[in-house]
Amino acid sequence: MLRRKVLMLVGLALLLMVAPATAQDNVTVRFFNFTAGSDHIDDLEAIIAAFEAENPGITIEVDGAPFADYFTLLQTDVISGDAPDVFELNYENFVTYAANEVLLDLTDLISEDLPYYPRALEAFQYEGKQLGLPETFSTVLLYYNKDLFDQAGVDYPTTEWTWDDALEAAIAINALGDDVWGLYTPIQYHEFYKKAAQQGDCEFFNEDKTESTINSPGCVEALDSMIEFVRQGVMPTQADLSGISDMELFRDGKLGMWVTGIWMLPALMEMEANWDVQIEPMINQHAHHFFSNAVVVSADTDVAEAAVKWAEFLSASEVAATVRVDSSWELPALNKPEYFEAYLAQPPANRAAVFQALESAVPPPVIERQAEMEDTVNRLIARVVDGELTAQEALDQAKAEIDLLLQ
Amino acid sequence: MVGYSGFNKYKWVAFFLAPSLLGLLTFIVLPMLASIGFALTDWTLPRQPNFIGLQNFQNLLNSAQFWNALRFTVLFILLYVPSVFVAALALGMFFNRKLPGMIVVRVTSFMPVVASWVVVSLIWRWIFNPTYGPVNYWLSLIGIEGPAWLYQADTALIALVITSVWKDVGYYALLFLGGLQSIPETYYEAARIDGAGRWDIFRRITVPLLTPTMFFVIITLIIGYFQIFDAVWLMPVENTAADRELSTIVVEVVKNAFSYNRMGYASAMSWVLFGLIFVITFIQLRVQKRWVYYEID
Amino acid sequence: MRLTKPLDVDATPAVASREAKPTALLSRARFWTFVQYAVMALLAITMVTPFLWMISTSLTPEAYVLSARPQLIPEEISLESYAELGRRIDLPRVLFNSILVAGLGTLGQIFFAAMAAFVFSRMQWRGRNVVFMLYLATMMIPGSVLIIPQFILVRSLGWINTYAALIFPSLFSAFAVFLLRQSFLTLPKDYEEAAFVDGANWFTIFWKIALPLSGPALATLGVFSFMGLWNSYLWPLFVARRDEIMTLPVALSFLQSETRALTEWNIVMAGSVVAVLPIFAVYIVAQRWFVRGVVITGIKG
Repeated sequence: MLRRKVLMLVGLALLLMVAPATAQDNVTVRFFNFTAGSDHIDDLEAIIAAFEAENPGITIEVDGAPFADYFTLLQTDVISGDAPDVFELNYENFVTYAANEVLLDLTDLISEDLPYYPRALEAFQYEGKQLGLPETFSTVLLYYNKDLFDQAGVDYPTTEWTWDDALEAAIAINALGDDVWGLYTPIQYHEFYKKAAQQGDCEFFNEDKTESTINSPGCVEALDSMIEFVRQGVMPTQADLSGISDMELFRDGKLGMWVTGIWMLPALMEMEANWDVQIEPMINQHAHHFFSNAVVVSADTDVAEAAVKWAEFLSASEVAATVRVDSSWELPALNKPEYFEAYLAQPPANRAAVFQALESAVPPPVIERQAEMEDTVNRLIARVVDGELTAQEALDQAKAEIDLLLQ
Repeated sequence: MVGYSGFNKYKWVAFFLAPSLLGLLTFIVLPMLASIGFALTDWTLPRQPNFIGLQNFQNLLNSAQFWNALRFTVLFILLYVPSVFVAALALGMFFNRKLPGMIVVRVTSFMPVVASWVVVSLIWRWIFNPTYGPVNYWLSLIGIEGPAWLYQADTALIALVITSVWKDVGYYALLFLGGLQSIPETYYEAARIDGAGRWDIFRRITVPLLTPTMFFVIITLIIGYFQIFDAVWLMPVENTAADRELSTIVVEVVKNAFSYNRMGYASAMSWVLFGLIFVITFIQLRVQKRWVYYEID
Repeated sequence: MRLTKPLDVDATPAVASREAKPTALLSRARFWTFVQYAVMALLAITMVTPFLWMISTSLTPEAYVLSARPQLIPEEISLESYAELGRRIDLPRVLFNSILVAGLGTLGQIFFAAMAAFVFSRMQWRGRNVVFMLYLATMMIPGSVLIIPQFILVRSLGWINTYAALIFPSLFSAFAVFLLRQSFLTLPKDYEEAAFVDGANWFTIFWKIALPLSGPALATLGVFSFMGLWNSYLWPLFVARRDEIMTLPVALSFLQSETRALTEWNIVMAGSVVAVLPIFAVYIVAQRWFVRGVVITGIKG
């Protein structure tokens, strides 16, 4: 008697484990993302609802992960042959996926006359094929605390500012108190490539990407100018922050200048002090991050038609654009100024800088073994920050290691 | 007739053994063999693998990352094993005293063992926080400025050792307790009758009879901690020197396999680890003849 | 600290000792007792305080999380972090997953291991030792060697993000077989012989004799198995990360990486409390078995 019950239980359990998800009558598109996070999940749901209303018969099954874990998990899915039908990629990872032929060629599948920014659309082409649709873009700006500037008696940043100007201001602000810092910007690959572009004479790779030129004098100069802020003591290290985020630091009025993305704008709405944004200072010329995320379709999907429809809707529809702009989520990469009016009307005063930065936007240099390269460069940069290596030494080593990765 | 014989018996054997053995073959033996295969290829997902012989191993030996990870693994073991060994031995002997209320100590010291490393890492990360955590706070009370523990590789290593000792000591203390309790009372009585002092008893009776347990503990510790992963993965703060430099072999294996997709390379590394563990265990087994007593003469 | 009569047999009764001059022996013994109790208290405190810290932080409202002076008892007690925790992760689902995986996995593991251990210990058959050697050999393989191919295997079976991936690989533990075999070996043979005379077959013997008589070993294995599955992190991280299948440790680590502000640490601690309470409960209830199991392993050496 008992034995029978046990066997039934085991049988049931086994069934439970291996049974597939209940089948749907209509088409289900699986969508994996990292941009929604917990603060914008409602916005995403709104877009999904609108899409499903317009397209009865298609259901979107959404799944998400934090950015830090997203790509590892996505790899897992892709290599397990269980890739989501539609998913997001940032620019840096796009090349890897495109090169490995896991993305569906959208060239002939998308509607005509989609209103994307031409540059954004180009960014996600690979070998002449349109493999992704630009979903959002963000730029990085210089945020500054006007009250602290006033206290230190320094003029606000202008569009002509250089990093030397910024350093002077940072030193003045830093002197205001023990718990006040002049400037914060992360010191890693992304900041570095941007400084390199601002310096103007630094390329990470040669023409056909067979060799790295990251240790050229121009690059060394760019790196040094970044580290200068730490050397002068006007920038907190991770240890100084002790776990407090840079966002909290700026929001609580303890940071004079903060270089970060426009995605932080909503977080500062309740900030007490007066603040504004400006385009980044330059070294010899302006250069700004071009962070862009694309929505792509898996080459192995069974529901290509529905998937492409969703991808288009998510990236180019008016509904999606409006939701994004209204919640200050991320900006759609669409050439439609009318969508952005409401966006630009919000504080701070100089929001137009968001689009000004686009004029000098530079995408990051990307290779197939991107993750390893970024880790390598970051590791070496960190050692320069700690004073273990000089910039030249670090970049020489970087070149050597990157050359290996390029093979 | 007891047990049947011949074919019938083997039917029974098959019945009982099948699930376990099949499972073992499928989920352990097969993967193991496959892993040897992977290690000999340059398989990087999602491309197809190509046979490259021992190239992976060669690359490993030239890899600064690998040696760094090995260095930290060994350092960790050198710091951790003696610490937890002594602590557990002392604690185990303490447990052996028949004091009322000892059960409370036993129960509480096993609590860290039972908690997952995820939870333990988070709690201790908070505890070691340089500005807001208790450790540096207490240090400041006695005039020492505590370091940024989990932000630098070397201090992070120490923090990890401390956390690991805290987490494991309860378990190993119980192992020692078991060993202690298996020492027959008669030996102690005889010694006491002979007038031996406490220290003598400890040295001449307890320790030698405890050597089998000690051996077991040491082997378990070394085999276990050569594979240390969770703590190193979870505790150092992201984007700091600690996070970038502090690594152990299994961390490198996981990183290479799941972040860089270099399945072949990672497999090779895991076999190198196996080799290391095997050699060390082998040496231990040899050496044990010299110092482990299974019976007092 | 309770006052206890010293254990020394020469102690005089308490009443008398108040009048009589305390002997040197008496006060020294009492001193040592005091020291021992102090040590016991210190040890218990050391082991428990970090967990108290965790609970305390989880009950702290956001404003007080980062105080200059760490305090064990928060200024203000609030459950807001638990509410927020519930908003950020699907607690019921995650708990359910962990319970299901740990529960089924434990039952399965014990059952299969017991069956195998049975034939290794109670039956004589050709090849028995060879097969057992195979089991022993697999115990030596480090997990890191297996994780990659197991992952590939699980993916080709299409099991990624299913309960199967979480449960199956751990169902076949050579160590469990080893442990149970030790226990079965100690059972007297007469029971079996008597049973056969009564017309029983091997399964009846297994089910009605061997298993019930091995209660302690089974319980011990059970708690260790449960603990391992409940706390498992690395494997579920890669094979089960869809929201509906996620288990507690992974959910907790995601929570932590999503938490941008340090002032939200109370939410992370709340998550930790939820992750650790069930296993503590299991432990308190079953701690007898834990202790015995570990101790026995120690004796074998």
